[in-house]
Amino acid sequence: MTAVSSSAPPMAASSAPTRRRAASPDVLRWLVLGLTTLVVAVPLALIVYQSLLNAPFFMPNKALSLDAYRFVFADPDFWSALRNSVVIASGMLLISVPLGAVLAFLMTRTDLPGRRWLEPMLLTPVFISPMVLGFGYVVAAGPVGFYSAWWQQWFGSVPWNPYSMLGIAAIAGLTHVPHVYLYCSSALRNLGSDVEEAARVAGAGPLRVAYDVSLPMIMPSLLFAAVLVFFLGFEVFGLPLVLGDPEGHLVLTTYLYKLTNKLGIPSYHLMAVVAVLIILVTVPLVLLQRRLLRNTKRFVAVKGKASRQQTLPLGHWRWLPFGLVMLWLLVTVFVPLSGITLRAFVNQWGEGVSLWQALTIENFTTLFEQDNLVRAMVNSFGVGLLGGAAAVFCYTAIGLAGHRRNDWGVKLADYLVLVPRAVPGLLAGLAFLWVFLFMPGLKEFKNSMICIWLAYTVVWLAYGMRLIQGALLQVGPELEEAARSVGASRAQTSRHVTLPLIRHGLLASWLLVFMIFEREYSTGVYLLSPGTEVIGSLLVSLWAAGAVEQVAALSVVNVLMVGAGLALALRFGVKLHD
Amino acid sequence: MKTATYFAAATALALSLSAFAKPYPDHYPSSYANLVAAAKKEGKLIIYAATDTAAARPLLKDFEALYPGIKVEYNDMNTTELYNRFISESAAGSTSADVLWSSAMDLQIKLVNDGFTASYSSPEIPKLPSWSYYQNQAYGTTYEPVVFVYNKRLLSAAEVPHTHADLAKLIKGNPEKFKGKITTYDIEKSGVGFTYLTQDVRAGGAATWDIVRTMGSSGLRLQSSTGTMLERISSGENLIGYNMIGSYAYAKAKKDPAIGYVYPKDYTLVMSRLMTIAKNAKNPNAARLWVDYLLSKRGQTLLAQESDLYSLRADVTGETTISELTKLLGNSLKPIQVGPGLLVYLDQAKRLEFLKQWRQAIQR
Repeated sequence: MTAVSSSAPPMAASSAPTRRRAASPDVLRWLVLGLTTLVVAVPLALIVYQSLLNAPFFMPNKALSLDAYRFVFADPDFWSALRNSVVIASGMLLISVPLGAVLAFLMTRTDLPGRRWLEPMLLTPVFISPMVLGFGYVVAAGPVGFYSAWWQQWFGSVPWNPYSMLGIAAIAGLTHVPHVYLYCSSALRNLGSDVEEAARVAGAGPLRVAYDVSLPMIMPSLLFAAVLVFFLGFEVFGLPLVLGDPEGHLVLTTYLYKLTNKLGIPSYHLMAVVAVLIILVTVPLVLLQRRLLRNTKRFVAVKGKASRQQTLPLGHWRWLPFGLVMLWLLVTVFVPLSGITLRAFVNQWGEGVSLWQALTIENFTTLFEQDNLVRAMVNSFGVGLLGGAAAVFCYTAIGLAGHRRNDWGVKLADYLVLVPRAVPGLLAGLAFLWVFLFMPGLKEFKNSMICIWLAYTVVWLAYGMRLIQGALLQVGPELEEAARSVGASRAQTSRHVTLPLIRHGLLASWLLVFMIFEREYSTGVYLLSPGTEVIGSLLVSLWAAGAVEQVAALSVVNVLMVGAGLALALRFGVKLHD
Repeated sequence: MKTATYFAAATALALSLSAFAKPYPDHYPSSYANLVAAAKKEGKLIIYAATDTAAARPLLKDFEALYPGIKVEYNDMNTTELYNRFISESAAGSTSADVLWSSAMDLQIKLVNDGFTASYSSPEIPKLPSWSYYQNQAYGTTYEPVVFVYNKRLLSAAEVPHTHADLAKLIKGNPEKFKGKITTYDIEKSGVGFTYLTQDVRAGGAATWDIVRTMGSSGLRLQSSTGTMLERISSGENLIGYNMIGSYAYAKAKKDPAIGYVYPKDYTLVMSRLMTIAKNAKNPNAARLWVDYLLSKRGQTLLAQESDLYSLRADVTGETTISELTKLLGNSLKPIQVGPGLLVYLDQAKRLEFLKQWRQAIQR
């Protein structure tokens, strides 16, 4: 590492491959890239291999065969699940992209009332487990949900049905608005508002400005977000599991879950096939995303430095968009959360039940009587806090390994990082169980939190890397170049210049990763064992076992944890996006 | 509170017993003391179970009090996870369960047939019904009736169906009221639900398909667990649940005034949670001790009174026991035979055929 004191400035190095070769290999960097490749590729390879067998890969009687593919392609359930997934993904696209863009415009460019406190509220759906949301909707807005009951009392009939495909797509769309919002608002923030002001000076109203000026400027980000949301549409699991199952609406991920049981004995090969197919659908989207991302950066770079931003006065119309934002918040956050909270504090509910008489805190007291549930709370907190820190450490190492470089190693890592996002969490978890069971030397860690932590870290690799890279991009290259020009090695530069400069970014990333880890639910389902319970996965297990009271109470605890993280993040002045 | 006092009493009893007498019944062989000593040396017992930790806790506490020094590690998971985890771990040669306790009777018998389980002749065998164990390897531990559950607020006493035929008649008589209001297992997702329906066909014959078709025409709501069905019946979103685990309904009804349940008079299926000892158990002696304990009069009494599961021993009395159910239902009780008959539908072709027939019947 010390030998990397070649005087070539990093920017020049990327454009001059012949000179880069002169630098001796950076062992640590390749180690990081190698490890990343390993933790991503091994479970993935295992899934692909399993899909090509006719029995669990660890059984002696397995054989190579395409039977599993034949079975899945011949199963009408698969096709209806695929169709439903496309419907949900399209619904999400249609709902979240326009709404997210409008929200972003309102929040960054206009004098919308209450912007300061609205922002964290807008982002809450990202950090709440969809299982919690789904069950919240059942209690609040299901056929006998308490909001439905009130509505029926006042207006006669209930116009919504959260169990229908339309309902699920709408809920999924509404809860993904923040994803779009994040991309659009950061794009808008990076652009100066001078162009908009020019339009305003020329007499254009806010609507005209938004449509004719702001929108075209953030088009690349918007497209990027659109692809992301469409892609996430194939991954939705918790909502259709809770809302769609009873009426038989399958999507690819719940179809995969169903295959666990369909043949009576584990059908890993069939599950693996579905996972491979999901990967095949989503990988092209990932590639498309990368293309778009490249364009986004170029676009932003052309604009250069942002000038002082001016807000657009909405005038006396401003309460209308404010009302819309509140309505969205009401439907997306308040309704499900109040539903789940209410369920946690009653022993029964529904048609003809007096909620006052049903009030109880027993659901919570029984929660704390059960050591596995208490452990789950402690573990979830630990995996978020310590595991989150460790994950940020790993993400940073990978980020630095690619920082200001542009060789094949970096490109490989760029793609690798995105792939785990394409694997459904449920199967990613199963793959990690196999890795820990069957890789020599790892068996001892099977029943430890390390297993869960590693699975979480890999599954959220793309998300974590985006946070870290965002922070890294904000470091001016001239600062690092200065260090390098006085003879510092790459490692020294990283340690003494880059890392201290991004410490706030790292802290922010840690908090965001904490919240994401608290919310994660499908990855850990197969990794649960006594001592390694985590709330999110227990929710799936308890739901499957039908312990509804415990699901509700545990959900409330989960939401409180995420809320505490969010409050802490804001207290420390963490910016929720780059 | 009741539970707490019971614990205190049980613990006190156990302590006093251990000072003066042995913790196991008198009719056990004299060599049993060696087994106890060996089990205490192992000091640990790993159980994989598909029974709620909350329900199992009284038994675990009592067992640990009876045999101090043996720590029980109890893993609550669903039946599929249980099976998957156990065979994966066995294949990897990793530490796994000593005892498997599952309501997926077919999967448990499959484990026996595939050679995953150990043979153990429990001294309690003479006290058990003959249909309830298989080859000294799989032991039935409970006697849980399969029931109809209904919402007491929304269904009048006159409407409550008491036989399978009643249920079909009720739905046919008022299709509007029951549209989308009947719930049962999704047998594609739930192995337990699958077993119940195949047993239905065995006990009720062709009439079963007629009932399934009738329920299907009402827009059947399917769930993968009894708990989620109970929730929706309690809320009134659904009115009647078909083929639900009686012990869960019993426990829920104690707390929730909306829940009512009936044992169908024409025939009532009875399920039993099967217990097996793993062949490669790390703690085989502790596992044997646990099996004997759970089958003993003491274990079964606690199981019936505190865990709200139903006891299969004739000498245990109370509401949730085989004797009480027999008084009530006599010959119409149809316990699911513990044996290789359960394996029929693990044959993929047969299973898929049955599923196909079912889907046609429910029109989905």
